[in-house]
Amino acid sequence: MSYDTPSFDVEFVEGTSALVSGEAREARTAFYDAVADGIASGDAAIVIATNDSPEHVVSALRERTTVDADRLAIVDATGEGEDGVVDGVTVRAVGSTGDLTGVSLAFAKQLQLLEDRQVADRVRVGLDTVSTLLMYAEVQTVFRFLHVFTSRLGSTDLLGLFTLTPDMHDEKDVNTVRTLFDTETRVDGGEISLRGTGYE
Amino acid sequence: MSDDGAVVLVVEDEQPLLDMYVRWLGSRHEVRAATTEAAADEAFDESVDVVLLDREIPGTSGGELLTEFRNRPGRCRVAMVTGVEPDFDIIDMGFDDYLTKPVTSEQLTDAVARLLRRDEVAAMTRRLFSLARKRSVLQASKPSDELGQSDEFARLEREIERLRNEIDASLERIDSSEMVSLVREFEAETDEPTDAGGGPG
Repeated sequence: MSYDTPSFDVEFVEGTSALVSGEAREARTAFYDAVADGIASGDAAIVIATNDSPEHVVSALRERTTVDADRLAIVDATGEGEDGVVDGVTVRAVGSTGDLTGVSLAFAKQLQLLEDRQVADRVRVGLDTVSTLLMYAEVQTVFRFLHVFTSRLGSTDLLGLFTLTPDMHDEKDVNTVRTLFDTETRVDGGEISLRGTGYE
Repeated sequence: MSDDGAVVLVVEDEQPLLDMYVRWLGSRHEVRAATTEAAADEAFDESVDVVLLDREIPGTSGGELLTEFRNRPGRCRVAMVTGVEPDFDIIDMGFDDYLTKPVTSEQLTDAVARLLRRDEVAAMTRRLFSLARKRSVLQASKPSDELGQSDEFARLEREIERLRNEIDASLERIDSSEMVSLVREFEAETDEPTDAGGGPG
């Protein structure tokens, strides 16, 4: 069953990873909308946040819909947090933002947690934002990380949502990263447009 | 590295288990067997591609042996075979994979194949990056109608597509521990000094 995302007026195919690109604040708003669409329809979610604190993640989602804390898990990749529970939601922290092994490991544990709770059939996995990763790590490492990470989501039919602010980076880096995504959702001044495949 | 004919060292203190593992792997690979730390030490050399290491080897721990293998010349993959369900942290300790006992013949041969394939996947993602990079550079410097008429650009696009499909096929059933191991490897590669970096001098 596809991942219905009314905010983008789209249904994403299982296993798809979509780039959500635009100005940082606008892309983030669209990102939370798309994650909340899933939570509202009973999907579980894992949010990997490089800028927002776990408190902020939880409140951004609660502003949009009712959140069952058992169906949400957070990876705090700000490099400033620690493992814990925020408003009933389990948080795993990564030591520093550029530590992509740490991000992978924390994600793996959160996915395992949702599997143990038997809510991992349908999970939206969101990473906000690839732009921060590109500032902290080599573009080649980020590229390869995203490749195996999106493959992992594909192997279990999850949905991946990755924000990116193209204006913050060299156009060449942005286009290189784009190679990995079947779908790109562009947000610009309230207008949402989609390109590529992976949706209906 | 081909999947066939690799050298696999199995370290397992329970002889019946060890014999079984050797039988399962023996038709495809050159298998060396060891039941003790000393024997493992003796059997290990640069030609070993994969080590399957029991967690509890008398006189040492799997972790200590791992450190020893890592400090020796040669590049091999080490998977821990353990009686208890481990945490993903085991990947962080430097193991490339782990298997939980009891393992089936299929699990064991799959794991060895996966470990042998890992170098290939790492190399393919590196190559895909460099091709994607090349395409981006061309896109940034040439008008799109000119690129549209270029045979060379068309070849580049096809090569990217082909390689992506090949990697996707290799990673179709990737699990979490494989993902973490690969990312760890990518980061380690970035940290390694390389000639391609064009450093000072």
